[in-house]
Parts: sequence; structure tokens; C-alpha cells
Amino acid sequence: MLTVKNLHASVGDKEILRGIDLEVRAGEVHAIMGPNGSGKSTLASVLAGNEKFTVTAGEVEFLGRNLLEMPIEDRARLGLFLGFQYPVEIPGVSMANFMKQAVNEHRKFRGEEPLTASQFLKLMREKSAVVELDAKLTSRAVNEGFSGGEKKKNEIFQMAMLDPKLAILDETDSGLDIDALRIVATGVTKLHTPENATVVITHYQRLLDYIVPDYVHVLYKGRIIHSGDKTLALKLEKEGYDWLINDYEG
Amino acid sequence: MDAERLYEAAGRIEGVERLLSSADSRIELAPGEERRIVAVHDRRDAAELSVELGEGARLHLVELFTSEAFRTLKLRQRSGSSADVTILQLGSANLDCTVDLDGPEAESRVNGLFLAADGDHCEFALRTNHNAGDCRSESLVKGVAGGKSTGEFRGLVYVAPDAQRTDARQTSRNIELGDEARILTKPQLEIYADDVKCSHGATVGQLDGEAILYMRQRGLTDRQARRLQIEGFAADVADRCAIAELAETLREAVAAQLENM
Repeated sequence: MLTVKNLHASVGDKEILRGIDLEVRAGEVHAIMGPNGSGKSTLASVLAGNEKFTVTAGEVEFLGRNLLEMPIEDRARLGLFLGFQYPVEIPGVSMANFMKQAVNEHRKFRGEEPLTASQFLKLMREKSAVVELDAKLTSRAVNEGFSGGEKKKNEIFQMAMLDPKLAILDETDSGLDIDALRIVATGVTKLHTPENATVVITHYQRLLDYIVPDYVHVLYKGRIIHSGDKTLALKLEKEGYDWLINDYEG
Repeated sequence: MDAERLYEAAGRIEGVERLLSSADSRIELAPGEERRIVAVHDRRDAAELSVELGEGARLHLVELFTSEAFRTLKLRQRSGSSADVTILQLGSANLDCTVDLDGPEAESRVNGLFLAADGDHCEFALRTNHNAGDCRSESLVKGVAGGKSTGEFRGLVYVAPDAQRTDARQTSRNIELGDEARILTKPQLEIYADDVKCSHGATVGQLDGEAILYMRQRGLTDRQARRLQIEGFAADVADRCAIAELAETLREAVAAQLENM
């Protein structure tokens, strides 16, 4: 589904990704962990198409297409979803109006007819239940005045609405209390199918109790320095990153 | 067309009076009277409207500009009266509005929006005189300038020496869509009383790049994302319409004008 080869990316003249290789197949869950500043969020942003970053080398193939050639919105419509670490507040723009345009843009891209008002409302109701999102929030402005937990639930709600092939969740667990974490993580798990894939970027093992990864990768200084299965996350929780970093630097 | 549509929509609401702006008018509200008025400016002309509000009278006024008209608006309010005014400039227009709060516990609310497309010049002047104590005034004027256009807001809140316990709030929010669009905002306070609550704020900014990125990540084009954001910025002025039944028509008029920006 997603093949990343030797990906290098910079912001200004500072190189942040320094040769990433990653293969994600349908049905898989990958976790990307690593110390602060290792490039985790940058990797997510570069894959999503954030123009702040310049790709200086490497290739990314997504569903048989050259991802790096596509503008951000086409990547989204093709099925790439990025759950933002800091979801943006958009005053005056209602969730319903925003989602209606987004869903219909996705449909147009696939050559499908736009949803009718009643089909859309039905979809909203159905999907807001996945993350126990208060129906009132969907009539409010996008993220405006939402609590931290509501913002993250709202990310997963949008993911449910857009039904992506690949979801990259950038520290979706940060700033969540135990209940919100459970709801968000269970939501992600419910949305997982053999046809789609999920990449979760996280600092903490606790998210991975709910979203059990097939692979765990450790990012350090812009490279994946180690990969393993879910037991790696447990070991990192107990022992930290030093043993890997020392090994790598040594 | 927007002017006609609003005029027609207003005609369908019971108890709403309609004014075509070509002539000067003077309106008096008797004590306790409530009136709802819609004025439409769809030609290039100059006209003055002056309204006297008797004690406890209530005025709801909506003014829509779709052509380059010069409008002088004078509201004089006795004690306990309230005036709720909504002003929409869809393109070049010139408004000079003065509100005199002459009796205690009078209330003034002004919500305004100007949309300046390429080549337009919008002017919006609002003077609120707190001539008596215990009055409240609140104004929110928003501006959007696109292409090579200019917009100007001049706001003055004057508080007379014995107008104690005045509560006055004045806000001006503006978005310039490109490098060639200019918005000037000049909010001023002139206060001669000492027991007052007055605030004013003014901002001129651009669209929020983070929000555009966020919306594009959900599949909207750059153009759609910008459009949605401007609409969101402008829509709340329509939402606060002094005649609630017209909010939807105003929102549509705003959306149609944004197509030209």
C-alpha cells in the first residue's frame, strides 16, 4: 500500500528526515516511536504533503501512485488521512458544512455522486457514535472551544467519515485522559479492516494496549534505527531508548 | 439581484417596513413602539435616514448596500430605548453612522460587514455618543478586502463627562486577502467620565494558513478552504442580523459576493 524508500526531507536548510525506509501493507498496524525531535511528526507531515517541508531525495509510492507528485488534497482524496497532533480551530466554519464538502470531494474524486442531505446526516450520526462524539459538537464550528479530548475524538470522527485507506495518527494520544484515550483508541480499532492500514505515532506504550501494532519502529535522527513486533514497545517503556541509541551511535 | 432578493424577502415578513434609499427620511418611534425596517441601497445616490427613538422604543434596522451609495444614518435614543442595526456593504459604499444615546439605559448594537472586491472602496464610519449615563453600546464591524481594493473603518466612542457607568465595546476585525488589498482601521475612544467600562479592539490579518492546510488534508482544494474560511469569518455578522428572519438571505448574499472576490 505504502512504500517509502530512502526519504530525505528538510525544512529550510535543516535536514530532518535522513533516509527513511518503510513498507506498510493492507491490514497492518505500524507504530512509530522515538525520542523528541527524531522526526516523527515531520514524517507524518511530509507524507501528508505539507509544503513547509522539502523532499530532497527518495521515493514514496501509495496505492501505485507517486505520492510526492500529488498536492495535499489529492493525497487525502486517494485515501491518506493525517490525524493532527494539534487539530486547528476554524471559527465560523461548521463541522457539518466542512465535512459535507470533504466527503463530497472524496466522492467526486472516485467518480461518485455527492451525498444527499439526508444520506449525509445519517452518515454523520452513524460515525459520531464510533467515537462517542456528542452530536452537538458536529453543529459547532470546527474544533472551536473543543476540549483537548474532544478535538482528538473529532479527528477520529473525521477519519470515520472519510474512510481512508491509510491513516497516520500523529500523537493522537497526547493530552488525553484515560477515558478519552480508551474512546479514541477503541474508535481507531473499530475502523481497522483487512483493507486499510494504520500508522500511529506515539510516545507512550499505553496507546498500544488498545491499538495492537504488527510492527514497532524506532525513529532517531531522521532514520528508522530499529524495528520489531509489539514486544519492542514494552521493552522501550521499561528501558527507554538509550540501549538502541548507544548501539546506533556506537 | 441581492438587493431585490432582500427587498422581496423583507416584504414576506409581517411587520417589516421597506425603504428604498433614494430620498431622505425621518422616522419617529413613539415611546414603547417597536419597528423593523429594511433599507436597500441599489443605486448610486446619497440619502440620509434619521430615526428618533422615544422612551423604551425598540428599533431593528437592516441596511444593505449593493451599489456605491452614500448613506448618513442618525439614531437618537431616549432612555431605555434599544436599537439593533445590521449593515452589509457588498462592494463600494460609504456609511456615516452616528448614534446618540441621550437618555439613561439606552442600548445600541451595531453589526457591520464590508466586502471589498477588486477595485472597490468601502467606508464605514461609526460614532457612538454616550451623552447620558448607564447606557450600553456594542459594535462589531468586520471587513474583507480582496484584489486591489481598500476598506476603511473609523470608529469613535465618545463618553460625556457625566455619562457614568457607561458600558461600551467596539470591535473591528479585518482580513486582507492579498498583497494589494488594504484595510485601514481606526478605533478611537474619547472618555470624559471616570466610572466607565470601555473596550476596543482592532485587527487586520490574513487567512489562517494552518486552517487551510488542515482543510486541504481533508480533501478540500486551496480555493474551497479559503472560501470556507472567509465565509465563516463573514457569516456571523449575518447570523446576528437585527431581523433574524433575514439572516439566511444575508448569508446567501455574502456567499454570492464572495464568488467575486
